[in-house]
Formats: sequence, C-alpha cells, structure tokens
Amino acid sequence: MFTSLRRPSSSTVMVTINGQSVPAHAGQTVWAAMALAGQTVTRQAALSGEDRSAFCAMGVCFECMVEIDGQPNQQACLRRVTEGMTIQTQNITEHSGAQNHGL
Amino acid sequence: MAFDCAIIGAGPAGMSAAISLSAAGADTIVLDRAPRAGGQIYRSVADSPLADVSLLGEEYLQGAALIEAYENSGATHMADADVWHIGSDGTILFSRDGETHQIQTREILICPGAMERPMPIPGWTLPGVMTAGSAQVMLKSDAVTAENAVFAGSGPLLYLIVAQYLRLGVKVAGLVDTTPLANYRSAMHLGPSALRSWPMLHKGLSLLREIRASGIPFYRNARELRILGDQRAEGLSFHSNGRRDIRSDTVFLHHGVIPQTNITRALGLDHVWSDIQKCWHVKSNAWGQSSSPHISVAGDGARISGAEAAQSSGRVAAANILTRLGRINLQDRDQQCRLDHAFLAKQAPFRRFIDTLYNPAPALSLPEDPDTLVCRCEEQSVQNLRDGFDKGAANPNALKSLTRCGMGPCQGRQCGPIVTGLLAKWRGISEADVGYYRLRSPQRLLNLKEFSRFHALSAQSDKEAAE
Repeated sequence: MFTSLRRPSSSTVMVTINGQSVPAHAGQTVWAAMALAGQTVTRQAALSGEDRSAFCAMGVCFECMVEIDGQPNQQACLRRVTEGMTIQTQNITEHSGAQNHGL
Repeated sequence: MAFDCAIIGAGPAGMSAAISLSAAGADTIVLDRAPRAGGQIYRSVADSPLADVSLLGEEYLQGAALIEAYENSGATHMADADVWHIGSDGTILFSRDGETHQIQTREILICPGAMERPMPIPGWTLPGVMTAGSAQVMLKSDAVTAENAVFAGSGPLLYLIVAQYLRLGVKVAGLVDTTPLANYRSAMHLGPSALRSWPMLHKGLSLLREIRASGIPFYRNARELRILGDQRAEGLSFHSNGRRDIRSDTVFLHHGVIPQTNITRALGLDHVWSDIQKCWHVKSNAWGQSSSPHISVAGDGARISGAEAAQSSGRVAAANILTRLGRINLQDRDQQCRLDHAFLAKQAPFRRFIDTLYNPAPALSLPEDPDTLVCRCEEQSVQNLRDGFDKGAANPNALKSLTRCGMGPCQGRQCGPIVTGLLAKWRGISEADVGYYRLRSPQRLLNLKEFSRFHALSAQSDKEAAE
C-alpha cells in the first residue's frame, strides 16, 4: 500500500479519479495522486484487457497511460494534477471499439 | 536565430555542459522533460517534499549545488519540454503544454540518461510490480512510499532505495538479492584496481552493512523468481536455499541500468554493443562526439558511469563543442579537460568492478518461461516470438513486422534489449550481430490536435517563453 511522507505545507487541489473525488497536492504527479487514492489501475492491456499499472514511473514504459480530462494516452507519471482534473483508467483495447485515439 | 547548442536533458551531464557552454558565451538552450532541472538522480533535491531530505543521502544532496550553479548559468532552460524529433539538420521539435515547438541549433548535445534494464520474470506485467527506480522517483518527487514492499534484483541502486526506505522508517518485507555467486569470484580479481576508488567502494559497502544491521529478511543468490498472483501482484516466489515466498502487494525489481538510446537510434547514429555493460552504447569518441560530428552525447545516456562521471563527460563534451563553435582553440580544450579526463580514467577500474559484480543474471535478462511477456505493450510472449523466429524472422525488425513486438507506445524501450538477447541466443551469434530495432520519430505519442498547434521559436523568443 502506498503512503505519503509529504511534509504538511503544500496547497491542495481536488481531482476526480474514476468518479471518486480526492484531494491531491498541487504539483503532485497524477500517478502519485492515483497511488495514494488506492486507484492503481491505469489502463487495460490492449489485447487481453488485463489490468495494468505504473511500472517505471519515469516516462519510459508507457504503462501508466490514463485519460485526463477526456484526453487519452496521457502518462500519469509525467502529468501533474491541477484543480478540477478528471482522471480515468484508460480502456482502449482491441475489443473496446475505440477508434482514432492517436495510437 | 539558431542556438549555438541545444542540450537534451538537464541531469548531471546536461547541467554541467550547459554551465561550461554558457560561461564561454555560447547561446545554449536546455530542453528537459521534468518541471525542474536535476535529472533522475537529483530529481526534486532543490524542492523536496520530504521533511528531512538528508535521509536520502549525501550524494543526493550534492546535486543541489549543481542545480543552483546551472540555474544561474545563463543557459535558457525549457522545463516540461518533451523532445520527440531531432533532425540531423539541427531542427528540434518538442512538446510543451500540449503544443509543438521548433528550434534550430548548430550543435546538439544529447544527455538522455539511463533507464532500468528490463527484468522480465513471470508476472512482471501485473499491477503492483514496479522498478526500484520507480520507488526512487515516487520518493523524491512526491514523498510516496510503498509499505511492506519486496525488493528484488541486484546492484547499487537497489541497495540505495532499500537503505533510504529503512532510514525513513518505511517497513520493508525483504531484500531478495539475485547477484550470482560467480560474479563475486570474477569481481574479486578486479578488486585491487577498484580500490583506487575507495570512497565509492566504501559507500556501497556501508549501504549493505546498513541493510544487514536493520534485520530485514535478506536473501542471497536468489534465482527462479516469479511474481505471485493472477490479477495483481501478491508477492514474490524465488529459490534461495530452498523455495521461498514473500507475500506483498508491491514488488520492486532492479538489475542495473542501461543507456536510453531511442533518440540516438532515431537519429541514425552508430551504436555499438558493450559486452561488459551488456547493453548498447551510442558510438562516441573521447570528446563525446557521435558518428555525426555536430551531435555529441554525454552522461549515462552514452555509457553507464554514474553521476560524477556524467558531470565530467558533460564538461568534456562542452569543451569540444566550444572548439567546433570557434570559441576556444584545441589547446585550451585539452587544458580545460585535463582534470575531467583524469577523473574519468581513474574511475574506470571501479566501474569495471561494478559492471562485473552486478553483471545481470542471464535468466533474469532473458525469460525462459514461454508464457512470459516480452513486449508489454503488444503482449507478445517468448512463445509468440519463438514462433515468429521459426517462421524466419531472424532479426529484430523482421520479428517486429511479423509479431508487432516493439510496435506499441513504448517503442521497444522495454522489449528491445530482450529481443536482441533472445535472437542472439536462438541464433548462437553475438548481440552485436543481431542488431536492434530501426527507430523513427516521433519519440512519443502525439495527437493531431497538438501537432496542429505549432510554434517556431528563435533564440530570442525562447528566452522570453522560458521566463
């Protein structure tokens, strides 16, 4: 389980992760906000549809691609939270019927 | 107006080079993907979210001074800039705030840094399996830690994060060390020459002592690693004096780092296989110059040497670039680089020692179980690749076309090293002869909306944009 050791001084923003409204620290990565909220599934694998989660957390592996404010293929480990941001587990698979998502 | 030099990456190599270039009056721009300079090693040291940042260690804290010197150097710093195309004509395209920007430059210095060597054990794609580097990144950037995690693999960075967790009072379920016993014997012969770099050796040994003293479960010579769980990680199973299972919802893997070569590959630069570091290096001379004279490389993205050597290699590359720009003569360049070249030569035996001691176990680099996924993006298993190979796909590009392995969003960053290794094994030839994927721009996923918002920036307007 992920926990935070952040010193209590930073300002807070509200984000929505898979419909759940949670506080996050301004400037925090989207992945960190997801991890601390216990929402660790970032996307479904393209063929099998199996759950995937962040792996490298430094922009190399592209496992943490989520939808942010409706925009797919956003790397949660690189993007930073902002007030009112909506984050969704990405479900673009061979079977999801999603098209033209820039992949 | 074109810049004199564009540097990709503001880690120790890029920052050091920028300081030298700017001091000599060269118009320098640094494009960095992070919100603040530092690279992975010095990430967030200048604005840590931790209450007591000193617990992360002296080496990390030293980065703050370098970042300060860099930020005062006068180089144009472009944060949040994700470079996705470098043209051999000096055109660079990068994304920033959802828009594409273009710059022109005379010289290019690429400092992409390292990534972790893929460790494809059965179950490595399950949620809850991450890399030790990811634990470092989460800790440094966001003060996020995983309670009761298992750490498995080999090498200094693995021991460092375990020690940092322990200092912070984070419970660790166990350290599973996969360093093969045979490595200790091979490394022993190199010990005497490595002693010349005693402070570095001492640092490594004291990390291990610190971990042992903590009393956490510490298993040596582990092999046959396998992640437990079907839907998500539930622990790690391994062999170390008998079969053992450790239950945990988080497993951090690590067995060394390798240069990130996607940018240098897409540029068509020559690369060579290093049998000592078991990875590809972009070909470069003693001044960091690649097979394209106006493109140089420095730091761990060129070869794995650590943060201190990265600073030296950054300064050396910068001095050489200054001669190419006509700002200093060759004699000045050689004089300026004397200390850095001496340092690089001095630390080489130590690096050789580390490379030998932590040479990755073959079974952990190349999956043996036919069902283990090699390509995480396109979900191609060892068996899928073997089928493709049996149909005649004998090189990485042919295998890619036939199986889609390497065609996903990570562009082969994870599967590439494994595919080269598997083909070398199956064909009984060297990795050098197998080669690697042919890569192209863009280096990241782009959508058309972003591509339509296009800005060409000159040296002057970039300065304003960065401010």
